[in-house]
Amino acid sequence: MTNQDTATTKFKVRDQMPDDSLHSGDGAGGDEEVIPLSAAQMQVAASNLLRAELVVAVCFFLSLLGFAGFGAAYWQGASDIWLGTFLGIGAVTFGVALTAWGKYLMPRGPFEEPRKLMAVKPEQRELVIGDFASRGKVAIERRGFLFKIMGAAATVFGIVVAFPLIRSLGPVPDKQLDKTKWKKGSYLTTLEGKRVTVKSIDVGSILTVFPEDDIGGALSQTVLIRLQETGDIVTRKGRETWGPHGYVAFSKVCTHAGCPVGLYEELTQQLLCPCHQSLFDVRIGCEPVFGPAPRPLAQLPLYVDGSGNLRAQAGYDEPVGPGFWYRGGTT
Amino acid sequence: MIERLYAWIDDRLALSRGGRTILNKIFPDHWSFLLGEIALYSFVILLATGVFLTLFFVPSAHEVVYSGSYAPLRGTKVSEAYSSTIDLTFAVRGGLLMRQMHHWAANIFVGSIVVHMLRIFFTGAFRRPREVNWMVGSTLLILAIFNGFLGYSLPDDLVSGTGIRIAFSITESIPFVGTYLAFFLFGGNYPGTSIIPRFYILHVLILPLLILGLLSAHLGMLVHQKHTQFRGKGAREDNVIGSPLWPVFVAKTTGFLFLITGVTALLGALVQINPIWQYGPYKTYLVSYAVQPDWYMGWLDGALRVMPSWEIHFPGHMIPNAFFPGVLMPGVTFALIYLWPFLEEKLTGDRAEHHLLDRPRDRPLRTATGAAVFAFYFVLFGASATDVLANYLSLSLNFVLWSFRILCIVVPLVVFPVTYKICKELQATPGAGKRKRPNIVIRSEEGGYEAVPAAQYPGYVHDELEPVPIDEVDVKAALVGAEPVSDGIYRIPREYR
Amino acid sequence: MRSSSSHNRRVGPTLKLIAGPAAVVAVAIAIGLLVWAPHSQPRAPLRTALVLTVQKDQATGKQLAIGETLFDENCASCHGNFAQGSKLAPNLEGLGSATVDLWVSSGWMPLANPTAEPIRKPALFSPQQSRDIAYYVASLSAGGPSIPHVNLSGASVSTGFSLFALNCAPCHTITGAGDALSNGLSAPPLHGVTALQVAEALETGPGNMPRLIGNFTPQQVNDIIAYVTKDIEHPTNPGGIGLGGVGPVAEGFIGLFVGVGLCVLIALWIGDRTEADDESGHGHHEVQGAGSDA
Repeated sequence: MTNQDTATTKFKVRDQMPDDSLHSGDGAGGDEEVIPLSAAQMQVAASNLLRAELVVAVCFFLSLLGFAGFGAAYWQGASDIWLGTFLGIGAVTFGVALTAWGKYLMPRGPFEEPRKLMAVKPEQRELVIGDFASRGKVAIERRGFLFKIMGAAATVFGIVVAFPLIRSLGPVPDKQLDKTKWKKGSYLTTLEGKRVTVKSIDVGSILTVFPEDDIGGALSQTVLIRLQETGDIVTRKGRETWGPHGYVAFSKVCTHAGCPVGLYEELTQQLLCPCHQSLFDVRIGCEPVFGPAPRPLAQLPLYVDGSGNLRAQAGYDEPVGPGFWYRGGTT
Repeated sequence: MIERLYAWIDDRLALSRGGRTILNKIFPDHWSFLLGEIALYSFVILLATGVFLTLFFVPSAHEVVYSGSYAPLRGTKVSEAYSSTIDLTFAVRGGLLMRQMHHWAANIFVGSIVVHMLRIFFTGAFRRPREVNWMVGSTLLILAIFNGFLGYSLPDDLVSGTGIRIAFSITESIPFVGTYLAFFLFGGNYPGTSIIPRFYILHVLILPLLILGLLSAHLGMLVHQKHTQFRGKGAREDNVIGSPLWPVFVAKTTGFLFLITGVTALLGALVQINPIWQYGPYKTYLVSYAVQPDWYMGWLDGALRVMPSWEIHFPGHMIPNAFFPGVLMPGVTFALIYLWPFLEEKLTGDRAEHHLLDRPRDRPLRTATGAAVFAFYFVLFGASATDVLANYLSLSLNFVLWSFRILCIVVPLVVFPVTYKICKELQATPGAGKRKRPNIVIRSEEGGYEAVPAAQYPGYVHDELEPVPIDEVDVKAALVGAEPVSDGIYRIPREYR
Repeated sequence: MRSSSSHNRRVGPTLKLIAGPAAVVAVAIAIGLLVWAPHSQPRAPLRTALVLTVQKDQATGKQLAIGETLFDENCASCHGNFAQGSKLAPNLEGLGSATVDLWVSSGWMPLANPTAEPIRKPALFSPQQSRDIAYYVASLSAGGPSIPHVNLSGASVSTGFSLFALNCAPCHTITGAGDALSNGLSAPPLHGVTALQVAEALETGPGNMPRLIGNFTPQQVNDIIAYVTKDIEHPTNPGGIGLGGVGPVAEGFIGLFVGVGLCVLIALWIGDRTEADDESGHGHHEVQGAGSDA
């Protein structure tokens, strides 16, 4: 095919069709007609055919090398970096070759086909509706009622079919979000199972603790902080006994979206939640002073028993963590 | 030989009857119509690499002791999900490449859907008759984002596990039903042991089936309604100009598939993504700093950060803070996205069918609105990196957050009039966007100058379609007996030559 | 009250208060409750000298002499001739040699500008010189933790990893990349730290860092140090470029701009552009509604 050909080329359709009920589709010219193509349309875009073909051929060859390289690298147990690089080179060059072929070595057109507007003629719609309605009519009296009662049955089905799909998935919350495993007398225990005493950690330190019967518990996780002051820490009114010997304990579950608040800024005595940067001021009861957290972290009332162990006076006085519908207001 | 094979099949399936339509189907050539294909082929890559991964991944929260080759994890109790992913990385040949290709392809998948959606929006391709396809596409976006979240949460590592905790909190923040939904989804209180297996079946079966189904509908409608096209080059509302399926489009699109595969493979080979062995297994009491979700969830994370600490309390009940940025905002977002074609129809009163596309500058209001809304979500997306930005730019964290709070209001308000102005100016400048051509200045004998435009590039041969002379049509006479289609549109048959 | 914006990295006042009042005892509760504002200074409690280590420094007279010389030449101008502090820099008494060695060997000190936030930079002194200065300063007053001895034989990186995840990752990130804290401070990245510096940091809790040494047994401390010096310093990156361990932020950036970007560029190659119209004017329909507002 040369670029200089000006004659129109016709493409013939095979003419030994046994069936005569041919029906022209939407395509240009239908199934029987020949599609005339102009020489301009059949031109290829490449101005230098030989160079274009060469580029395509070289790219395919590089692609062959790339894929072969992938195979060889795999066989040799090479690292995934090599595997992927060879695969990538092979695929990229293959793609370049194929695309260049399509772009520069195939008829560049432009080609055209007709398009029907999507809107349907009202008469045609009427015919369809007619078919629907005419055969749908049954010569009985209570058709409307039948439809209604069928609809009611179907509705009930639709509702009950959701039951196993939703309700069987899990238990209802009940009170599980309201209380943690902390209770009166719980020993503050480390992850390794050691009880925490007044001498366990240094001034200015922070430790993650749990009740002894729920080590690793997601809701009961608590941070114990030893503040600079060595006396009793009173964070808010009514909490006079909650912070013995410079120790305070707060729920580690952020009241914003539940992340563990493990980041303690010792200089400023603030807890910073790493997820969305809510800042809680430990000294005033982990009141949120910056960021999106809406409520303070719940405080665990502590006391020191006869052996110097740190224990909880009671559980948390409010649900820990982020809010939910029936949680109600804050303390 | 191929002809004989074809004849054999043809005589049994009658492919040739009506099959020419497929071969001759015309695809308009503009590059912006290929953006959807990026998404399509990324999805193909996801399926291929994903199948490989399913052959090794164990979707179980059951604890095992890791005893593989990565020393810092040896002896640590981890979930089987985590352990099997570590094994994929270190013990399965090609496993890390497949994991990384899968993850990069997912990022490219969602990114290309967004880019494609922007193209559809700014060129008005969502107008009648394509409103349904717009809604199908928007659903595909939601499914893609959601499936991505499920996918990167499967390995049960520290970073993605934190995201699952946040997802639980957002679910439980929904008024009335939130806690029930959260408990049903997780099979109990957080964390439970069901979430990984459930995420798994959602991620590999249920959502891909939904995506495949909707994708088929999406492409089917595209084929049935035929593609839109830009004006110019003889394009009209009742034709399609471009390249035929065979051979040009098949060659180009298959080439594109390989190119996208190549890009994904090179990324998967050379740039590490989601190094879960460095993150360690998820435990409910662990957390890391500088943790963000994957970028397509970034707008949600940013919204959670910039939202002020408001909460609504009634006696005995509350609407928690996380509900507003986590549930309400995305709900409004997607409602707006779904309803946009109908909103625009109402606002402009334009109920006609459109198969020709707008240039964005020709619809300044729509373009400005789209740009402003996109800018809003872009700022939210940027806000998910407050801590990383503060660290990188050596700024105060507080300052960065406040800046984002202000920017997410100010930037859209600024983008809107600026975009509008740019559109109007582009409209007013006749040569805007056209390739500039140099002028060759020739001096005439008399001494005057003449400027002649040079060829567009060396060797350029201008071979546009020649204008076809159109017969004068007597409209009134033609309308007699013409078939009304709808809404004042009539079909006047035109003979093809 | 200092103003914010470009000056919120000012940690000069913080430095002053780190050292706190001298050595001793008591319980000086000097905390006022400041209503927090974005640009306010951090409240800084006075630090007491409540410490655990009792080990005495093993410094020779020669080392002390070297330390004194170096101190006089480089530190005394701000910290005073006897490390008693001044308007420019805090009192160093009672801080112990571990503190001084950490601050000097990490390059936080000396500080060219007394009001700047200390950042890690190449140390001005050799490790031995840094220790000499530390011994000298510690010899000026009693108290404070000594430079610890690190013994990594038998250390377990897997135990260290678990401990690191619980105690260090919330500030320094799980990959040790560091991140911003509130009020312009930051948890520094852990790349390039020595084993001794890790031990000293745990021992002394510099800046905003809690004093975590009491949380661990000595073996656990060594495990953490082993993990940091092995796998944080030299992370295993079989997947290619590590992107600094920053995580999804960097990955999203690459995925969008490199991944999607490259694919869009490829699309630009494959498809047509809207061609310029030719000068005959043919082919360019006057767009319906061009110049319209809607």
